[in-house]
Amino acid sequence: MSPQTLTMLEALRAGMAHMLETDDSVVLMGEDVGRSGGIFRTSTGLAQRFGGNRVIDTPLDEKGIVAHAIGMALYGLRPIVEMQFSGFIHDAFEHIMFCAARYRWASGGQYSCPLVIRSPSFGGIKGGFWHSQSAEAYFFHHGGIKVLSPSTPEDAYRMMIAAVQDPDPVLLLEPVPLYRSMSAEFDTDGVPAEFGEARIVRPGADATLLAYGPIVHECERVADTLAASGGAEVEVIDLRSLMPYDVETILASVRKTGRVVIAHEAPVTMGFGAELAAVLQEKAFGYLRAPIDRVGAPDVPYHFSIGDEMYRPTASNIRAGITRVTEFAF
Amino acid sequence: MARTAKGTSRAKEGPARSSVCPLGEAEAHGILQVLDRDGNVSGTLPDPGLDEATLVRLYEMLVLVRAIDERGFKLQRSGRVEFWIPHRGLEAVHVAATLAFADSDWIFLGYRHPGCMLLRGVPLLQMFAQFFGREGDPLKGRRLPTLMGDRRVNVVPMTTQVGSYIPHAAGAAWAARLRGDDTRFLVFFGDGSTSRGEFHSALNFSGVHRPPIVFLCENNGWAVSTPTSTQTATRTFAEKGDAYAIRNRRVDGNDPLAVYSVVKEAYDLCASEGPSLVEAVTYRMGLHTTSDDPDLYRDRSDVAEWEQWDPLPRTRKYLEARGFWDEAREAALWERVRAEIAEAVTAAEALPFPAPETMFDDTFETPTWLLEEQKRRLLDELEPRA
Repeated sequence: MSPQTLTMLEALRAGMAHMLETDDSVVLMGEDVGRSGGIFRTSTGLAQRFGGNRVIDTPLDEKGIVAHAIGMALYGLRPIVEMQFSGFIHDAFEHIMFCAARYRWASGGQYSCPLVIRSPSFGGIKGGFWHSQSAEAYFFHHGGIKVLSPSTPEDAYRMMIAAVQDPDPVLLLEPVPLYRSMSAEFDTDGVPAEFGEARIVRPGADATLLAYGPIVHECERVADTLAASGGAEVEVIDLRSLMPYDVETILASVRKTGRVVIAHEAPVTMGFGAELAAVLQEKAFGYLRAPIDRVGAPDVPYHFSIGDEMYRPTASNIRAGITRVTEFAF
Repeated sequence: MARTAKGTSRAKEGPARSSVCPLGEAEAHGILQVLDRDGNVSGTLPDPGLDEATLVRLYEMLVLVRAIDERGFKLQRSGRVEFWIPHRGLEAVHVAATLAFADSDWIFLGYRHPGCMLLRGVPLLQMFAQFFGREGDPLKGRRLPTLMGDRRVNVVPMTTQVGSYIPHAAGAAWAARLRGDDTRFLVFFGDGSTSRGEFHSALNFSGVHRPPIVFLCENNGWAVSTPTSTQTATRTFAEKGDAYAIRNRRVDGNDPLAVYSVVKEAYDLCASEGPSLVEAVTYRMGLHTTSDDPDLYRDRSDVAEWEQWDPLPRTRKYLEARGFWDEAREAALWERVRAEIAEAVTAAEALPFPAPETMFDDTFETPTWLLEEQKRRLLDELEPRA
């Protein structure tokens, strides 16, 4: 397979197409995913290529879509479900967490629920709070579901394949702001991503910057700019897999740098950064040379007109976080 | 009467009512029936013509599940079982509906359905292992007593929140249709479940996609203390199917022959028509659960009226009239099932509880490092005690 240049959207579509083609138990379902290819056009052409029994337009009912997909998964299909926007996922929350993430355990391992929930996530699209949610924290708290978030087209492609092949439910946080703004060349060779493997985006010895999703690229730019101006060398790590997360890669970096900033778009209070900070103080307490800093959203809804600039982490508040940890001294 | 003074007897408010049990005027209530109160074939439906062996099996199962309920309730009251969900009065719906399906078909259970499990061949010992939360329960002691299921017999354990599993059943049926399989599906749920969005979601999707499923609403009069009149403004639960273009029937849930006929017809139509909604009109004779006190919300005279429509004597009289049953067989049956239950109770109670570290199993197919770490910590902390 020769390398292709694909946008994030095209990469997700290629991942779905690969799975629809290679595994006839895979179906894609959701609101508008069929004939119109989804409101973001992620699945354009798939219904025409694979037919209405594989790429299925459903009634407008997020809870119902997930709940029916659960039944399909129990019976042996591998449904991919689109939530259209992460802001709409809450209606399906009970079925994701209390049903899909529980069937294997509650049935003593007799049933599994291999379904993928595609949740177009994050801000930056002037969508107000209905369309800009970073809802990931809700899904970590009770086990039974894996959570992935790609920041590159290649990861998007491989994570889609890994998610569909996984025997358990997987939540895929798709970075809406990167859908069309990001493209890359890679082999569409059907090789899945590994769960729980972070990626060192750029190495550095002075501080560790942990991020995932679209914010990874902002972090990389900040670190590059800082280094170019003779400032701190910041190691940027893209977590990619949030549950399970790659504790070894994070620990190795923190043992080296002793200083940590965690950046995410979600509110900081009880967000994923809180978990990372806790596990680092537990496992790398003696290596820390400054309190761990978190850069994220305040505990307010995503604002329509000032949200994209003030709510999401920006270059300036990521830089401020790095300054706080690098200038801190006991 | 003290209870009336407290204003808890809702049914007595308003205009005088003739009866709390509509089964005596089944036709007027649109309820399909084979047997009258005394087990005579006199209803709106013909006798389905089951053979002697099947009829005897059906009746023996009604008696066995009745006896299990009696024993389970006592085990809870004596502190040996944590919790019990009585099913007295509902046996006919569970057993007869299950009988209408093939063993290869899938059933999604509610939470008071030992009859379905037993009819599928699950051993009594396994049932009681589940009630006691012991090893030997395929669900590994993780669920409350009577929240059963077993993949080996195609019975899916419910997700405990009422009615949430209705679309799971519809989704599984939809999957079978997409694959071109002939598997058919039966899902049990109570009248209270029809108030949840999932009921409507499942009927809506199924109206569009026509999966091979029978939605079986057990209208047993009460959702804990909430009566039908508070649950819905429609006259019946069956008619809700009309809103979704789903064929529906109302049947006497205390008449196993009628339940069998109506469910079997719906079963046969799965291939051509897809879904059906069946409302089985019945009555929960006992408590909602052992944490419930029905004297707070209903008159005992209502229960007494429904007692006269108890599915067991009706079925027995029918069998006797056909010459398939007599007093001696009746006495011998009760003696046998009580002895079998006693033996299963003793054996199940002697089984060990699952080991603590097994709680980590099955969260995922392959545990994450986080779970491995938590399991190791639990085992380290348990070790000094051992």
